[in-house]
Amino acid sequence: MTDVILEKVGKTYPNGYQAIPSVDLSIEEGEFIVLVGPSGCGKSTLLRMVAGLESISTGELRIRGERMNEKEPAERDIAMVFQNYALYPHMSVYDNMAYGLKNRGIAKNLIEEKVSDVAKMLGLTELLQRKPRQLSGGQRQRVAMGRAMVRDPKVFLFDEPLSNLDAKLRVQMRVEIRQLQRKLGTTTLYVTHDQVEAMTLADRLVVLNKGKAEQIGTPMDLYNKPATPFVAAFIGSPSMNLIDATLTEQGVKISEALTLPLSHQHRGDIVWGIRPEHLEVSDEQNGDFALRIQAVESLGAETLIHGKIETESANGESMVVRLSGPHLPDVNSLMWLTAPMSHWHLFDAKTQQRL
Amino acid sequence: MTVTFPQKGLPWLLLLPQLLVTAIFFLWPAEQALEQAFYQEDAFGLSREFIGLENFIDLFTDPLYYQSMLTTLVFSFSVAIVGMSLALFLAVMADRVIRGKLAYQTLLIWPYAVAPVLAGVLWWILFDPSMGPIALWLKSAGVDWNHYLDGNQAMILVVIASTWKQISYNFLFFLAGLQAVPRSLIEAAAIDGASPFKRFWTIVFPLLSPTTFFLLVVNLVYAFFETFGVIDATTKGGPGQSTTTLVYKVFDDGFVGLDLGGSAAQSVVLMAIVGLMTVIQFRFIERKVQYS
Repeated sequence: MTDVILEKVGKTYPNGYQAIPSVDLSIEEGEFIVLVGPSGCGKSTLLRMVAGLESISTGELRIRGERMNEKEPAERDIAMVFQNYALYPHMSVYDNMAYGLKNRGIAKNLIEEKVSDVAKMLGLTELLQRKPRQLSGGQRQRVAMGRAMVRDPKVFLFDEPLSNLDAKLRVQMRVEIRQLQRKLGTTTLYVTHDQVEAMTLADRLVVLNKGKAEQIGTPMDLYNKPATPFVAAFIGSPSMNLIDATLTEQGVKISEALTLPLSHQHRGDIVWGIRPEHLEVSDEQNGDFALRIQAVESLGAETLIHGKIETESANGESMVVRLSGPHLPDVNSLMWLTAPMSHWHLFDAKTQQRL
Repeated sequence: MTVTFPQKGLPWLLLLPQLLVTAIFFLWPAEQALEQAFYQEDAFGLSREFIGLENFIDLFTDPLYYQSMLTTLVFSFSVAIVGMSLALFLAVMADRVIRGKLAYQTLLIWPYAVAPVLAGVLWWILFDPSMGPIALWLKSAGVDWNHYLDGNQAMILVVIASTWKQISYNFLFFLAGLQAVPRSLIEAAAIDGASPFKRFWTIVFPLLSPTTFFLLVVNLVYAFFETFGVIDATTKGGPGQSTTTLVYKVFDDGFVGLDLGGSAAQSVVLMAIVGLMTVIQFRFIERKVQYS
């Protein structure tokens, strides 16, 4: 069943600035959708429009079939977790969680029951009488989630909830959020700028760029078949090698001296891409091209090699190669590589669309 | 950070002007008052006699003194509560204004720059029973306004005049306090189903409590000690004793009634009250509620 529908939803500010031209998205019940993009891409604005904290300029938002554009945030049956948690500092953890229920006139004993259930689920039982300032970052994060869960809303909205935590806690909370969402089966819309967070959490990802949905799909769809160079560069770490090239009868012409053979109908300027992990080490006879090594980053489990494609005219394209295990090639030496055709990504340079 | 001066004399030299002002205008008169409180002096200041605690005994057996104390309490709490409520209301309104925000804020700060006596005179003219526009309007509305005869009306007048001056100060602090409340808290409360009214009383107002408490102390101190000019310009403590606050009584008894010893004893009591309020202010405001 479709739970949340955004139909040509757009946002134009009173000063004429168009933050979001038009976004279409339909979310299934229980689905975990992540909105991801660089800062200023409009992802938070979109989330706040769903929450009712920003007005919707054009288009329509429907939750369970009901038009929500004119509804107050409280009437939309949503719960939101804010980046800074937005816990009420003068209230205890219990009161923070009970506030929304009290406002809805729910009986006191029922509130107690619900709060203690959620507190148990999140391991907050011991902390119910504490004030937010007496909690650690991770605990505050849990309270913020508890406050959202206790109301049992139709939709959870998360606005970069993990960005204030340290790296270790972030990974831990990421796993916890995913498990909780699975268990509760609540439709979730989650905003982040971190592509790892996005890939690991999402059932489906929405990559936003300048207020437009560049691509919507499962994390693997986006990884395997990015629709645009923007998505290709954004998903995956280190990001995909993208090189301006020309498609000719002979194949992909990267420079005067280097053409990778390919038979393709399309002609003209393209962007040729290959992920760092898909390049393979080769030798002079079998290699497609050579890389002049500029830097080596050894991470133990993998090694990242940065270099430039070796050409006569000294200004070759930069490339990153990701090899598993430790490697220690000399800086400034040449490394021959093959680029398997099955891992190529071709984009039209003009339309920025996948070929 | 500690700054070290090469010579020991320079820091004292830099402090000297402030120390001089404090010594001449605060410490010396305070010492004089303390001394005078134990003497009885003739009206011309030619001779005096040590009488021990008699001035204090007279003071605390005088029903008029208690009357004045009550007047001061009524006056001070009225000024503090009326002034703070209005200022909070204005601050909430100003916080919501989007267009012309600065103009509203500037206009609301102006009264603070008006000298107390001028403020007193202004309200005195507005409420003058025979020609004041507000008094005439009240009369046409059926209220028989004459603060020269009616003690309660005189009290209302001094409360209005004193409050008006203090609203700007309260407004500034409340506005700053309101702007320091994170927007996301209000938004979270909105999602939690709280009406705007409820959001204000359950989220914003409690978060303003450090500001509110600070302003309460400041307003009480203001009403106690800094409203002499306003009272002198509007009612001169009258009619009868109805607007004679403790500070006004010091002046009235000392410089009008020429009971210098009794007046000095009253100032000593006031000094003790100031000291107490300062202690309260520091004890509680330093320890004000911390929100992270």
